[in-house]
Amino acid sequence: MLKTQRLEEQPELAVEAKNLTKRFGKFVAVDHISLEIRRGENFGLLGPNGAGKTTTIRMITGVIKPSEGYVKVFGIDVAKERKKVLKYIGYMPQKFSLYEDLTVEENIRLYGRLQGLTGSLLKDRVKELLERFYLWEFRRRLAGKLSGGMKQRLALATALVHDPTLLILDEPTAGVDPPLRRKFWEHFRELNREGKTILVTTHYMDEAENCDRLALMNRGRIIAEGTPREIKRRALGGDLVEIVFEGNLDPAALPGVKSVMEDSSERYLLVVEDAGRDLPRIVKKAEELGAKILVASPVHVSLEEAFIRFMGESE
Amino acid sequence: MIELEEGIRKGFRIIPIVDKEIRQLVRDPKTILMVLLMPITVTILFGYGYGGKGAGKYPITVVDLDGGDGAFKFIQELRNSKMFQIKAIYKSKGQGFSSVYSGEVYASLIIPETFTEDLMMGRPTRVELYYDASNPSVAQMIMQAVGVVTQQFQEWAAARFGTFAITPMFYTVYGPEIKKIESFIPTLMAMILQMVPTSLISVSICREREKGTFEQFIMTPVSVFDIIFGKLAAYFFATISDAILSLFTAILLFDVKLKGTFLDMIIVSTVFLLNSLSLGLLISVFSRNQLQAYQASIFSFIIFMLFSGVFIPVDVLSSEAKLIASFVPMYYFVTAFRNVSLKGWNYLMVLDQLTVISMFTFAFLALSLRFLRMEVT
Ligand SMILES: Nc1ncnc2c1ncn2[C@@H]1O[C@H](COP(=O)(O)OP(=O)(O)OP(=O)(O)O)[C@@H](O)[C@H]1O
Ligand SMILES: [Mg+2]
Repeated sequence: MLKTQRLEEQPELAVEAKNLTKRFGKFVAVDHISLEIRRGENFGLLGPNGAGKTTTIRMITGVIKPSEGYVKVFGIDVAKERKKVLKYIGYMPQKFSLYEDLTVEENIRLYGRLQGLTGSLLKDRVKELLERFYLWEFRRRLAGKLSGGMKQRLALATALVHDPTLLILDEPTAGVDPPLRRKFWEHFRELNREGKTILVTTHYMDEAENCDRLALMNRGRIIAEGTPREIKRRALGGDLVEIVFEGNLDPAALPGVKSVMEDSSERYLLVVEDAGRDLPRIVKKAEELGAKILVASPVHVSLEEAFIRFMGESE
Repeated sequence: MIELEEGIRKGFRIIPIVDKEIRQLVRDPKTILMVLLMPITVTILFGYGYGGKGAGKYPITVVDLDGGDGAFKFIQELRNSKMFQIKAIYKSKGQGFSSVYSGEVYASLIIPETFTEDLMMGRPTRVELYYDASNPSVAQMIMQAVGVVTQQFQEWAAARFGTFAITPMFYTVYGPEIKKIESFIPTLMAMILQMVPTSLISVSICREREKGTFEQFIMTPVSVFDIIFGKLAAYFFATISDAILSLFTAILLFDVKLKGTFLDMIIVSTVFLLNSLSLGLLISVFSRNQLQAYQASIFSFIIFMLFSGVFIPVDVLSSEAKLIASFVPMYYFVTAFRNVSLKGWNYLMVLDQLTVISMFTFAFLALSLRFLRMEVT
């Protein structure tokens, strides 16, 4: 097992991007975005196809140069001192980028050696990764002959070979079956616990719920940023609660209510500032006004809904 | 700052790259085709027949045994044809022969004693051509040109003096102990050592870009230096067999007897092989995709063939063409390899050519290092 890297004296931010911009000719793929990813967190980058996620990630890993702005990884400017930061980054590109004419084991070994591992350290590390990602029995198979999910496993194993402190994963679970997706995410959590920082993109909203913080991208811009809960609140302008009552009552006049979203005579969906604080007040007030509350509960808003709302607003 | 623990070594990454490239080369059926089959096939094809076309002025000598107006007119006709550069006009056959033997000229044309007389009388007569058969493509061109001149002269003479026939006779002269097939060996080696390595390595970097593997590759601390020299070394190991194989095929199949030692020939071949590989790397650095890279290597190959003196000797080319030839590494290789394999010189005697070739190699590598971008596009 590799010893973990020394964590003291490290800057607070794993990734800091300012005014990051990428133009392809006249087309602006990434448009003046700023990002701060804290050490140890799991940061999700979401957005529809063509939003600019991969382009952003490529600028962070330094495989393309920004047209404007800068990225710092652990305080080091990637465009200027790329070599210094490489050893801290484990990168899994969106497209499978390993050698299809090398075997599973040869790929991991090659990357281990390129990262500078030698001798028994290399041997043990390769074996450990093969086992951890259930690749041991396929170790002699050419990478090109693997199934989609096996390729993803191999790519993740390879990205981890030098025990990087920052993992950048571009759609790591694309084409991965649900049980394995769960395993992947359990593994990410474990890496986070070890103090590693993860930047991940995904199109699966249930996965995004697991992130500490999210940034929502559309057309090259970040249109929302925050914890999943914050994002949902911001999409609606507050928390969503449901009330069902008998009697005469104007829901809009209840305390803390910002807007009434849906009414079907007796059932209302209300946006309130803070569900925990406002729900008891609503119940109390409604009863004072002579109505009989049958149901009063917070409503779970899916990220998907928040996502779609933001997208609609930004159009 | 963050410090990595021991066990992660700094420094060069060449060895894993060489290892990877060789594994990939061995698994690619293209490699087998190009490195093994191609040299053998080309050698065999060469062995069974060789044709070439060229144009330019061939240096020849004329032996004028006649000394009359007829001979004078014939020599003028040769000059007018613009195909020959008449280096000297001798009075004896011996001088004509030795000018061919020594390699000074490609052929010597002999005009017999009774030429003018025969002409006036309307009697059939002949001219004789002694040509150096060690350079078959040139010999063929000269024979054709002499045929054309003779026919023109014949028409002119027939109109003035009535029926008249003039027959060119051809005699071969071999440069000392050089058989036909031996003289092909430098050309053969030049072709094989240029085409196979250059086109093989020319796709190596752009294939990584095209397939996307470059994106992962450059996330490791490899340097431009590691990539260029790692690939160079791997492809060198893979293609050196190319040179050895061609030589052996020629020797075994066609009973070629070369004067040079094996070591000298391999040294000269190695210097040129490194040059071809460096050119291929440079092409790979600048190509956007594999197709472009192949096209560029084939294009450069054609240019090199034309200006390296394998089809048309460089000294019969125009001064512009000579200038181009001086920028063609293959030209220096053909000269050096000819001297080593056919004349038995050792590699030190062709150090001049080897130095020039190495300077090109150095330039190609320097440009590759300078322009290889550690980015995806
Ligand atoms: N090399 C390039 N040249 C020209 N345009 C490009 C290039 N790379 C990306 N783009 C364009 O930039 C935009 C953003 O692409 P990007 O790959 O970053 O999107 P994405 O958010 O990762 O999408 P997806 O979810 O489909 O992976 C797209 O419109 C794409 O066509
Ligand atoms: Mg993408």
